[in-house]
Amino acid sequence: MTDFLRQALLAPLGETFFIKSLVGGMMTAVVCGVVGCLVILRKMSFLGDALSHAMLAGVAGGYLFMKLAFGLEAHAPAMLVGSVLAAVLTVGLIGFVSNISRIKEDTAIGIIYTGVFAAGVVLVSAFSEYVHIDLMHFIMGDVLGVADADLWVAAIAGSIVLSVIILFFRFFHITSFDPILAAAIGIPVGLVGYALTVSVSLVVVSAVSMVGVILVVGLLITPAATAYLLSDRLEKMMLLSALFGVSSVVGGLYLCVWFNTSGGGAIMLFCTIQFLVVLFVAPRYGILAGWFRRRRQVPQQVMEDVLGFVLRQEGAVTPEKVTAAVTGERSVILRALRQMLSAELLSSQDHGLGLTEKGRREALKLLRAHRLWEAYLHRTGVAPERVHEIAHQLEHLNDPDSVHLMDHLLGHPLEDPHGSRIPAEVSHEPGKKLRASELRPEERAAVLEVTEKGRDCGLQAGDVVICGPRRNEGRTWVLHRDKEEIHLEHRQADAVWVAILGGNG
Amino acid sequence: MSTKADAPPAIDVRNLTISYGPRPALLDVSFTVAPGLLVGVIGPNGSGKSTLIKGIVGFIEPDFGEVRIFGRTMDEVRGEVAYVPQRGEVDWDYPITVRQVAMMGRYGYIPWWKNPQPRDHEMVGQALEMVRIADLQHRQIGQLSGGQQQRVFMARALAQGARILLMDEPFAGVDAATERAILDVLEAAKTRGRTLVVVHHDLVTAAEYFDRLVLLNQRMFAYGTPEQVLVPSLLSEVYEGSIRSFEMLAAAEQPGEGRES
Repeated sequence: MTDFLRQALLAPLGETFFIKSLVGGMMTAVVCGVVGCLVILRKMSFLGDALSHAMLAGVAGGYLFMKLAFGLEAHAPAMLVGSVLAAVLTVGLIGFVSNISRIKEDTAIGIIYTGVFAAGVVLVSAFSEYVHIDLMHFIMGDVLGVADADLWVAAIAGSIVLSVIILFFRFFHITSFDPILAAAIGIPVGLVGYALTVSVSLVVVSAVSMVGVILVVGLLITPAATAYLLSDRLEKMMLLSALFGVSSVVGGLYLCVWFNTSGGGAIMLFCTIQFLVVLFVAPRYGILAGWFRRRRQVPQQVMEDVLGFVLRQEGAVTPEKVTAAVTGERSVILRALRQMLSAELLSSQDHGLGLTEKGRREALKLLRAHRLWEAYLHRTGVAPERVHEIAHQLEHLNDPDSVHLMDHLLGHPLEDPHGSRIPAEVSHEPGKKLRASELRPEERAAVLEVTEKGRDCGLQAGDVVICGPRRNEGRTWVLHRDKEEIHLEHRQADAVWVAILGGNG
Repeated sequence: MSTKADAPPAIDVRNLTISYGPRPALLDVSFTVAPGLLVGVIGPNGSGKSTLIKGIVGFIEPDFGEVRIFGRTMDEVRGEVAYVPQRGEVDWDYPITVRQVAMMGRYGYIPWWKNPQPRDHEMVGQALEMVRIADLQHRQIGQLSGGQQQRVFMARALAQGARILLMDEPFAGVDAATERAILDVLEAAKTRGRTLVVVHHDLVTAAEYFDRLVLLNQRMFAYGTPEQVLVPSLLSEVYEGSIRSFEMLAAAEQPGEGRES
């Protein structure tokens, strides 16, 4: 069995044609993969298709020129130059048509590239006695018949393109992500765009002889799209994309010799299957991952109820006590407990479960939301005996920004209607930057900055203040600067930014 | 604009005309902004507000006219102008982390053959701290909430260290809490002497947020303090027929109303 496998894998490596295809294909795939990332991020996939078709006219033109002018047959450099010229011409025409008329860009691409391709077809057939280009070969490619000239073209084109992209990586990165900022800091956005277009044409030219016009766009964008599903950084995406390109070529070529199929077809089929597999199993952006995520999800509400319950208990609690006290299905609550243990919100202690430091912070955040909602409900005139019950529902509306806003609108209250202390937004440890309105009595702080709306309060950056108890039903903030007492309205206290100092009472 | 005679204005827009077709998007727009002001750009949809920002930032070549930044041309002051795009213009699926976006603010100072220097990393770190998203710096930008996403781009502008900040509709589609968080950053930037130009769509809050307003609809209708610009005769000319906004505006003009701390 292993002998058979070894034979199947090693035998093709003894054949020169196979080695050549492998080397040529891998070179092409690496460059295609890297460039393809930029192509899909700039939503230029259709343009890649257009360029690959347009190059037939360039190849035919270059061939014909050298043949008629110098009598040279199939002069590779001339065909290469011709292809790049044809590509640039196509891009120029597309831009021209979509800019000067009401024709939209995607339509313009479709019109121009088929036109240029058709010109190539006509050229090849009209001069068929001079130009010996096999149209079928051009369209389908022949990866197993890679000539030395093709290898050279792929190597040179590939190294030029890779060097340009690596050297000017930041330029390509920023013009793809935010061309306006790029322009603002003096990067020639248009030039970078042209450089990319020329790179794409070079890549396409070297790939067409192997996989053909129809499949080249797949080699350009499929590995890149596969990598896109797995990466959160462009560098990583390019690396993965190159790897996926290489694996497609290797896998495809083996398929091709084992089953005696078309080389280009096998490569692209392998590439596509690879994409589908990743689409299914990718850890974050994959279909399975999304499905599992939804299934495993414990309602946020249950988690929060558990946190709130544990915080109100003295010491550790048993899981049984939690399931009895919190509303919800037993299995869901137990799952919530397991997840909270692994998320280090809870920890196992001697007599059951207790809050970790992180869990305590989360629980205090909830308690803060709860008591702010109580203060709010009290103010809207809800009957005191119902306040707690409604707040228990509303505490789940606790997005940090919204709680922050509510705290502000309520005038930063210190206590809820039952006289319980409302926890501060975050732990006020030394160095914490906040507004003076958020200071708690007894806290010592240094004034960092006074913005415009508080200029009239008499405080300046650099002052050291100690917060006193509020007056006037919490509407007047009292700060002590040395012996002096400074009174602030809400508006002024909001405009003063302070940093908490250590060593207070 | 009574500034010291020797200090050039932060932004000097002279006879700016920009077009995408036969009808100019901006026609002969001129105004000067003194350093340290918070300027709002208002006008109906399609009035050229975003175009004005893209013109100042140098993304679009004007057909005529020019923009001077601290008395110099845009090419001479590369890096002095930071730009915060409209939320809808950003590809939030782009494979890039919060920190990498902020680092882009430094790209103008890093020669192409070099890597970011320790100083660049330091400035990026400070900027992320300043807008309070340092703990999210290795997340991909699509994984943040709306308000956090807005702050990523603020951090980028701060990391750039630019003296002028241009923002395209930072308040569009954000909730009240985020709006307040953004205002904080704006005010803090102003306190540090930055000049800000902000595209804004809401007439009701315009007077409250900004020191100066530009009223735009293809050409410039007014530039001045909110009291000078938000007058019914001008507004009715610019916002032909959209009566409803005036009623809201009238309500907001009541003394003491609509003025938040």
